[in-house]
Amino acid sequence: MTEDIHSLDEDEFFDEVYSFQHWFDSVEGYLHGTRNGRKSPAAEVPSEGRRQALITILCNYCVGETAALETSSGLVLIAPNRPLKVFLATQVVDEARHLEVFYRRLSELGVTDPEAEITKRASPSLLAFKRCLEEMVEARDWDAAIFAQNVVLESMEYTTFNRHMAGTDAATADMLSRILRDERRHLGFGETQIGQRLRHDPVLKARLSKVRAKLDPLVLSCFSEALEAMEIAPSERPELAKDYMQAMDRLGVK
Amino acid sequence: MSDFLNGYSIQRWLESCPQGYLDGTEYGHEPGQKEPDTIVEQEFLRDRAIQTTVQLVAGERCALAASSGLIGCAPDDASKIFLATQTLDEARHVEIFTQRLIDLGVKKADLDSVVADLADPNLIKFAEALLEKVDKKDFVAGVVGQNLILEGMAFSVFEMLQAMNAKWNPKFARTLSGTIADERRHVGFGENRIGSLIRQYPEKKAEVERMQKEMSFHMLATFANQLRDPSASRELEWVSGNAPEPAADEEPATWQGAALGELKLDEIENLLSSTVLREFKTRLGRVGVDYQTPALP
Repeated sequence: MTEDIHSLDEDEFFDEVYSFQHWFDSVEGYLHGTRNGRKSPAAEVPSEGRRQALITILCNYCVGETAALETSSGLVLIAPNRPLKVFLATQVVDEARHLEVFYRRLSELGVTDPEAEITKRASPSLLAFKRCLEEMVEARDWDAAIFAQNVVLESMEYTTFNRHMAGTDAATADMLSRILRDERRHLGFGETQIGQRLRHDPVLKARLSKVRAKLDPLVLSCFSEALEAMEIAPSERPELAKDYMQAMDRLGVK
Repeated sequence: MSDFLNGYSIQRWLESCPQGYLDGTEYGHEPGQKEPDTIVEQEFLRDRAIQTTVQLVAGERCALAASSGLIGCAPDDASKIFLATQTLDEARHVEIFTQRLIDLGVKKADLDSVVADLADPNLIKFAEALLEKVDKKDFVAGVVGQNLILEGMAFSVFEMLQAMNAKWNPKFARTLSGTIADERRHVGFGENRIGSLIRQYPEKKAEVERMQKEMSFHMLATFANQLRDPSASRELEWVSGNAPEPAADEEPATWQGAALGELKLDEIENLLSSTVLREFKTRLGRVGVDYQTPALP
């Protein structure tokens, strides 16, 4: 393993940072000694109203994580080279871990059949977003799928989890804080990949703008539903949507 | 999640694999371990090591494509979660065997062409038979092909290679030991998960049996091609003539009860083929699939 990865040339740098070893060194720092994705002791039991709201939020997180799990695993097949396949394989396991810890949390909240509960509570906008991702992978559209998953979905999750963490119980917040570390890595990968592709393909920007135009209404609707379940005041909601829009704008995909 | 699938959780995988038997390793071996000088210096030995490693890379690429491809058609989330760990295991195997090619002197820019040139055509057919099922989103056939046939083959091949290399090449043997532990878990999942699915979808049985027969034939043809190659006998001759005299109390390298140093190539091929086929028969029997004897190459 290389001590100073910044001394490497570009190809070697990406070989290193997309490797299994680099992934493991990264996650070990915040997953070592955790159980069910967190270090905090037994979770508190919220009031019935809050418990129901939290179950709905977590069920929708499961929909998002299942979408990410299925998309990243589908992308392993179409990734153009080995380091990208290996990185996406690390993302596959990250997304599966998120799904697993959300399941565990649902179980602590008294949900006995999570798959049935998810079906009952899933947001139609999020399900529509998931279908869009499936279509992109099915069409083997690497650029659109990486953009939709690693930039749009990951930004949406990053913003939502971050806000949720600030106003929830300690156990859920601890779990989310560790998931956010993964999401930051996935988002970084997406921005790097799309940024590189945009530099070499002038037509791509217009194509991704169309993808964004299709996904934005679904994303904003998902935000609205999630923030309502979190009981966040309507006055604060546009600020969060702005965070997401800024993340999109950084890539210049308007 | 059912109880048995709890045994295949990410938590369990994290604790037993990356934080367990891989802890402190570098590309699957102990830091600082190197390929023996003789392999790097003797061109025909190096070529032979590259030839063998390419087959491992090709097999693992197929396993990576199959395990990631099966996630989207898995019938439940617990199976998706297990297959996610398997996807990363297979990606790690691709990475460590590719790194071995680099350690053996293959230039990074040449990796894909070397694998394309040297991958055994029978192994490619073996992979195609499996990936066809994955492409069709056939979860039952895909898991049998991937977790029982491909992983069962890999398990025995890796065990034999590890026994052969334990003294001769400790770096490669250590790399193999981690992959053997992974393959054992993958085969275990296949056996546990597929039995109930075969009972649920009995109409799949005949198709799965046809696939097993076809994949088994391609596997035997791969073994034959690789072990009947003149370079294999030259390697065996060299190793026999140059192996250091064992100490008086030293046990010879054995696998499946056979002293590997005393076997001729055709005997090694027979031992490997019969071991893998016997394991197939046992494992398929446990999940309710009737083993089909393949044609001989």
